[in-house]
Amino acid sequence: MRKLIIAALLIVVAYVLIDAFAEFQFGAERQGIKDYFLEHTPTDLQVANSVTAIIVSYRGFDTLGEVTVLFLAATGISTILYRRRSKHTGLNPLRKSPEASLIVKAAVKLLFPMILILGAYVFVHGHLTPGGGFQGGAIIATGFLLLLISYRQFKVEHSVVMWVESLAGIFFVTIGIFGIIYGPNANFLENFLPVGNLNELMSGGVIGLVYVAVGFKVAAELTGVLDTLVNIRETGDNKETKE
Amino acid sequence: METILNYLGYFFVSIGAVFLVLGAFGILRMPDFYTRIQAGTKSSTLGAMSFIFGVGLLEPAWFIKTLVIVVFIAISNPISSHALARGAYKSHHQPYLKDGVDAYKEVENQKEVKL
Repeated sequence: MRKLIIAALLIVVAYVLIDAFAEFQFGAERQGIKDYFLEHTPTDLQVANSVTAIIVSYRGFDTLGEVTVLFLAATGISTILYRRRSKHTGLNPLRKSPEASLIVKAAVKLLFPMILILGAYVFVHGHLTPGGGFQGGAIIATGFLLLLISYRQFKVEHSVVMWVESLAGIFFVTIGIFGIIYGPNANFLENFLPVGNLNELMSGGVIGLVYVAVGFKVAAELTGVLDTLVNIRETGDNKETKE
Repeated sequence: METILNYLGYFFVSIGAVFLVLGAFGILRMPDFYTRIQAGTKSSTLGAMSFIFGVGLLEPAWFIKTLVIVVFIAISNPISSHALARGAYKSHHQPYLKDGVDAYKEVENQKEVKL
């Protein structure tokens, strides 16, 4: 009976969706904006990845806002969870789970540099291949997550995270201000460097620099968030607060 | 030379595809978590490795990148499933024991006696 209801509901949903999308032409020309970007990113900016060009160059200010949103989210998580951090040495004394095995520990030593290199590759080649600062930063943070879950004594230095994050943010804004000073139209975050040739690493003007800054910033933020999450006390056991 | 490389590439790609399909069957047919994870890992490690190696032979420009990916899979895939299986055992997920022999438990008990 339940399965019949579920099937009937699915049919209704499918009918509504098909009805809604029947007149919707996928890939149809609507505003002409798609063709503009596809034509102009390889010639104006010499950037192979149009998505990156839109995110960092045409909508660079928007990306600055996105980075700020991420920063606020990381700060919020740290603020909420800070009181629930364990007192002793940052390690979680109530974590009863056994330590990671020798095989995992040995493999992490091997894999961690490879993950860092992959992350750096992704954000340095943001304007050439799919990916970019956000993705590369997330990959680097997964490397640190691997260290956090396999070595219990591993501790993220929050002062280092804070410095990396702040410097990356300042670097991003500084590039934007340089756009006002040196850019041909004197706009914030405008390209002021030579654009180079298509499909070369040193091309695309400021896009590469901005993505390096974004990559470092995202990696630092996510690593800080992961460290905070790993080190909180497990809920339902208020031993530490009663002491 | 190119045709030989092509044939070798298709050979490796088909081996990979066959092993991936066998792994899917293994996940469907095996009785519990531990046997499923070994079926999935063994076949998907070899399957993905030979698949990607075959792609590298078909596109010689990507060969070095595919070699790096193959090495990465060879290290990371078995390790991750080892960690998963060990984590499941340590959190008391009971294995399916047809003959009642739990070799890992015996080893752990011996360790405790020695200590």
